[in-house]
Amino acid sequence: MRILISAVPSLLAALTATAAWAHAFLDHAEPRVGSTTATAPRELVLHYTQNLEPAFSSVEVSDANGARVDLGKPTISASTMRVGLKALPPGTYRVRWQVLSVDTHTTEGSFTFHVKQ
Amino acid sequence: MSCSMLCRLAFAGFAATTFTTHALAHCFVGARFFPATLVTDDPCVADEMSIPTVAWSKIADVPPATQWDIGVDFSKRITENFGVTVSQDWTQIRQPDGTVTSGFGNLETTFQYQVLKERSHELAILAGLIVDWGHTGSTGSGFADTFSHLTPTIYFGKGFGDLPDSVSWLRPFAVTGQVGYQVPTNSFDFIQNVFIPQQLVYGASLQYSMPYLKSEVIDLELPDFFNHLIPIVEVSLTTPVSNNFGNPYTTTGTVNPGVIWVGSYFQVGLEAMIPINRESGSGVGVIGQLHLYLDDMFPTGIGQPLFGGTSAPPRKLTF
Repeated sequence: MRILISAVPSLLAALTATAAWAHAFLDHAEPRVGSTTATAPRELVLHYTQNLEPAFSSVEVSDANGARVDLGKPTISASTMRVGLKALPPGTYRVRWQVLSVDTHTTEGSFTFHVKQ
Repeated sequence: MSCSMLCRLAFAGFAATTFTTHALAHCFVGARFFPATLVTDDPCVADEMSIPTVAWSKIADVPPATQWDIGVDFSKRITENFGVTVSQDWTQIRQPDGTVTSGFGNLETTFQYQVLKERSHELAILAGLIVDWGHTGSTGSGFADTFSHLTPTIYFGKGFGDLPDSVSWLRPFAVTGQVGYQVPTNSFDFIQNVFIPQQLVYGASLQYSMPYLKSEVIDLELPDFFNHLIPIVEVSLTTPVSNNFGNPYTTTGTVNPGVIWVGSYFQVGLEAMIPINRESGSGVGVIGQLHLYLDDMFPTGIGQPLFGGTSAPPRKLTF
């Protein structure tokens, strides 16, 4: 038991020294999750906590009626995924994403942002 | 001084609900991540390890004795949907007069099958059988039984992510729970000269996920530490339901408010343990746990199911 207790701090140190998440979580987005922007963004940028596999990662943006407002296939570099947006009128937009991290774990999520009237 | 009958019954109830049910899982269902809970189980099979879970409490003896429990468990997926957990715990009880008794509980294995994972509604259901193997622990010191217990158990988890936009702040909430029926392989304990009851073993958690709030509802740009927290309240209860002749049908258990910090490859949980009545303990205890995500630490090794883990190519993601 003494060995076990003494090993815990070393284990914690080793684990916390690792910078990246294993599953790719959404770290932050531009526009921010749940935010309201004064001007319509021309691009959506998603930053993840892990590098992504481009072939198996995707995103779509739709308006309140469910119509797609993104420009199609995203570009992915390391842990960042970008997709262009059409000219967005004021309103609420939903982002849905699914990504595969380089260690083969899949994660997904969705959020909204708002363009001010 | 040996542990009194009340003490032993309280320990049995506590052990049944605390250290015999924390099979663990790294649990993603859609956008929801259910953390490994400390005194109940989350609703997924996974490759994980809890090393250790440590609890301190004052048991329902008069005057109350102090109890330490240290548990270790290891969960391994055999297939994508079927997993086994092996658990072992060690207990020390220190009486007010300084007398100390300690020993190992019985070895426990939990077999679990993932019945459902419904991504859009963040719903997961798991069926399991907990087997507490008699005569594998310190039976002489009273910390382990000479007979086995079988506990068929249903586990569930539900995230509130499908709530409407008008109550979006409630979406980070989730509930998990489990209900099991514990059947001993003996109906009478000739050493204690008491009937061995069949018991309902059940519990639940209510949790609020700050990671979910940040990535799904609104990014408040809080310091990163807070974005990893999941405040939680767990309840863990045991109720004798039959073969309990001569004893009260008293429900015992604890209510555990606390918090879990979720990291990249591990999580750390800390909860207070508040007894629900005098039979459940004396005063507030504490439980803490370091929990490792083996599937993230070793994604191509021990973190894979034994069978079928690497044969399937990544699926093309569709909405």
